[in-house]
Amino acid sequence: VKPAAFDYRAPASVEEALPLLGLDSSVLAGGQSLVPLLNLRLARPELVVDVNGIAELDYLQADDGPLRIGAMTRQVTLEHSELVRRRWPLLHKAVGFVGHPQIRSRGTVGGSVAHADPAAELPAALVALDAVIHLRSAEGSRSVAAGDFFRGALYTAREPDELLVQVEVPEQPDGARNGFAEHARTHGDFATAGAAVVIAPGGKVAIALLGAGPAPARADAAERALAGGADAREAAALAVEGVDGEHRRALCGELVRRAIGEATA
Amino acid sequence: LTTELIGRPVRRREDERILRGRTRYLDDIDPPGAAHVAFVRSPFAHARVGGITVPDGLEGVFGVITAPDLDGRARDLPVQGIQGGRVAEEGHPLLARDEVRYAGQPVAAVLAESRALAEDAAELVEVDYEPLAPVLDARSSEDTLTHWHRVSGDVDGCFATAAHVVRASHALPRLAPVPMEPRGAIASYNEAGDMLTVWVSAQDSHRQLAGLAAVLDRPEESIHVIVPDVGGAFGSKGAPAPETMVVAYAALTSGRPVKWTEDREENFVASYQGRGMEADVELALDEDARMLAIRARIRADLGGYLMPTTAIPAHTTAMLMCGVYDIRAADVEVVGRRTNKVPTGPYRGAGRPEAAYFLECTVDVAARELGVDPLELRRRNLILELPYETALGWTYDSGDYRRCLDLAEELVEPEHRSDEERVVGAGFGMYVERAGGLFETAEAELLPDGRLLVRSGSCPHGQGHDTTFAQLAAERLGVALEDVELRFGDSAEVPRGIGTFASRSVAMGGSAVVQAVDALKARCDAVAERLGGKVSLRDVAEAEPGLRASARFESELVFSSGAYGAVVEIERATGRLRVLRLVAVDDAGTIVNPLLAEGQVIGGAAQGLGECLVEEAAYDEEGNPTFASFVGYSLLTAAEMPPVTTEFVESPSPLNPLGAKGIGEGGAIGTPGAVANAVADALGGVRVALPFTEEKLWSALREAGL
Repeated sequence: VKPAAFDYRAPASVEEALPLLGLDSSVLAGGQSLVPLLNLRLARPELVVDVNGIAELDYLQADDGPLRIGAMTRQVTLEHSELVRRRWPLLHKAVGFVGHPQIRSRGTVGGSVAHADPAAELPAALVALDAVIHLRSAEGSRSVAAGDFFRGALYTAREPDELLVQVEVPEQPDGARNGFAEHARTHGDFATAGAAVVIAPGGKVAIALLGAGPAPARADAAERALAGGADAREAAALAVEGVDGEHRRALCGELVRRAIGEATA
Repeated sequence: LTTELIGRPVRRREDERILRGRTRYLDDIDPPGAAHVAFVRSPFAHARVGGITVPDGLEGVFGVITAPDLDGRARDLPVQGIQGGRVAEEGHPLLARDEVRYAGQPVAAVLAESRALAEDAAELVEVDYEPLAPVLDARSSEDTLTHWHRVSGDVDGCFATAAHVVRASHALPRLAPVPMEPRGAIASYNEAGDMLTVWVSAQDSHRQLAGLAAVLDRPEESIHVIVPDVGGAFGSKGAPAPETMVVAYAALTSGRPVKWTEDREENFVASYQGRGMEADVELALDEDARMLAIRARIRADLGGYLMPTTAIPAHTTAMLMCGVYDIRAADVEVVGRRTNKVPTGPYRGAGRPEAAYFLECTVDVAARELGVDPLELRRRNLILELPYETALGWTYDSGDYRRCLDLAEELVEPEHRSDEERVVGAGFGMYVERAGGLFETAEAELLPDGRLLVRSGSCPHGQGHDTTFAQLAAERLGVALEDVELRFGDSAEVPRGIGTFASRSVAMGGSAVVQAVDALKARCDAVAERLGGKVSLRDVAEAEPGLRASARFESELVFSSGAYGAVVEIERATGRLRVLRLVAVDDAGTIVNPLLAEGQVIGGAAQGLGECLVEEAAYDEEGNPTFASFVGYSLLTAAEMPPVTTEFVESPSPLNPLGAKGIGEGGAIGTPGAVANAVADALGGVRVALPFTEEKLWSALREAGL
């Protein structure tokens, strides 16, 4: 497992990084997905742009209300942040399910979002939280709602010349409760499936599934039903209506039920 | 002076060195100027191989070896036979000639300045493949590679007149051994002295040496094999690998040292695997549920070629099909078939878990059909008096099967219940295993400072020899543990022996150590007496320098046994299986070190549980491995381990001076049957094939209408 030859650049700033991005380059963040793909020669970029030296992308702040997560923030930082635990507990719960401690200590928030593994925890949680993904390119900046960002397995709205710079998570309404449940073959393994749930006063409900399809998705009908007074079992049944496979449907339904149970406990 | 060391839970004295990283594994050895090897491996399960084209001017490449280079210079790997059976001469070619028979088979070896450059070049070697239809299971294969059949007693008569005949079919998937350190070899040739030195990550130096001599047609005296620290094997580093032979050949011909350390992907696709057997079993029982006869038809999915030891696990399975029961008539046939997969070979248990699983699951099916409690059915049929010669021809040396089963029942506290969220069941599995056999060697030497040096033909790769053998040697000579030094694994230093596999190290290697040390002690005592008694070993060493003694201990097979009990819970909503508790009662005769013995049991149980819960080396319909990384092949983590209660019954073996048998495999042998029977109990008798995935159990719950 030695990667095919590639050129390597390690820009010190976003400005320096942007001109390097394109169809033939890969961005190296925490390397927890890209490095194995390189080693197995499944990814063969001509240029690897290592953004680990870009200090300006490593921050967690919530001064003006929403939580702003710099793309290079390590998952362990999110996991151990008191601010996140208190005000965005769904993120705190979800990140704890990401791999093993060793993986979280290197893996980044932006890397997980940009990689868009269908079994990944953070994308599903961000979809449930109505997060916004901020992208930059040499041409300019744009923002994409998390719900529109994840388009398929390992496929997102990010263009090859764009760098994911920030994940913005809106402030949670007062009294919001949440639940996160997932199922994996073994502890720390890729999730087979999972569910993220937010329930806020005033009938605001968010349910997002992971591992149920090629990309994390909101379960609109289930959200409406739950907001309209349906119980967890009924909402869960609605949430998994389109899920392929009898057992996977049952499993996803159970995880939605558990996540709702956790949010309403 | 410490005298009572045997039976004490001494902590592993090798661990400090290992945990501090003062070890030297194969990849830590870096001969200057070495060529690094990457293999070109077949991407097809089955194909004809036409021409192989090596582009010119590959960067940093010293050479590329293909099959024609080996013609007349290296043979295929040798094949070991089985007693009373037929084994085809289908040894593994070092490199594919005109056909590849499994995805991952080595086709060419690229030698380059670095492994990275070798991998780059390996991609550019063009092989002309003409894909052929693969055969992917033993049942549909028409190519028999091994065959063994034995009929003993009036089997047909028993079945014709039996009050009950019970039939059941069982299958065990292929498993990847997954040692933490993958395989590897380094070879270097000294032309002046005509000496080939090979460092290899292996279970011993002797079989590697014999394999190298046979394949390369060199005198054994011209080969020096060194086994450095080894990070696990589980059977997979016993037989010499074709890659090791290619590395040695390359060193002989390239004029430079040659190094190959495989990566995880290679280890998954190209290291021989375990299990991959299925069986149709019939039991004839009388009106009192006494077992009269057994009939078993066993099929083994052997893979594309025979590794040196491929034939052995299926033979062991067959020979153990009477288990711990007094069954006087047996008709057992085992057929090993060629498939287009990597060869199989010994993997922890190596035939013993298969036999235990096939038989113990059948016993539970019988209990359910006859309406007899499974424990009662077992108790009615256990062998009570030993030694006992089975209908199949092996003689169990000692054991107390009844006591093992009683203890397992008492400790596991069986339960059977269900509620809205879960179903809970309990099950038991017993086993008897062959251990030891053949011979093992040791040399004991009194050092000038009065300390003891022991060289052993046995060879550790995680078992803790440095501690257990030191306990034996120290107690027999009457010195402190720290005054004993042990050496293993270097063919130029240790006496020619057999090695570490088949739970044989303490019974065989340990007995050889005891005999060598006892002989040395007799010599020391004689010298001491000459010196007027009351003298230290240092005085003895001074008076008579170079005192030493050697031993070659030989014995028939010894038979460990055990009873395992499990209580499991299946979650209704998802089908998730949780093993709530596991009880392991093992009888390995005299236990030299209960702490290490328990470690062996727990480690084996973890592998047995992995086999039950997640492990399966599965191939797609084209014969591509779907498990070439840890994404596709799962191992249990500490988080999935249930509490394991261990207990030892000690029925000493009459066949060696220690009374020891084997404990290295019991956990892997006893666990799957117990868990499978507990799962069937929870499912109201419905049987599901391993591994017990959530999807299978969820469907089975619905099938059972539970």
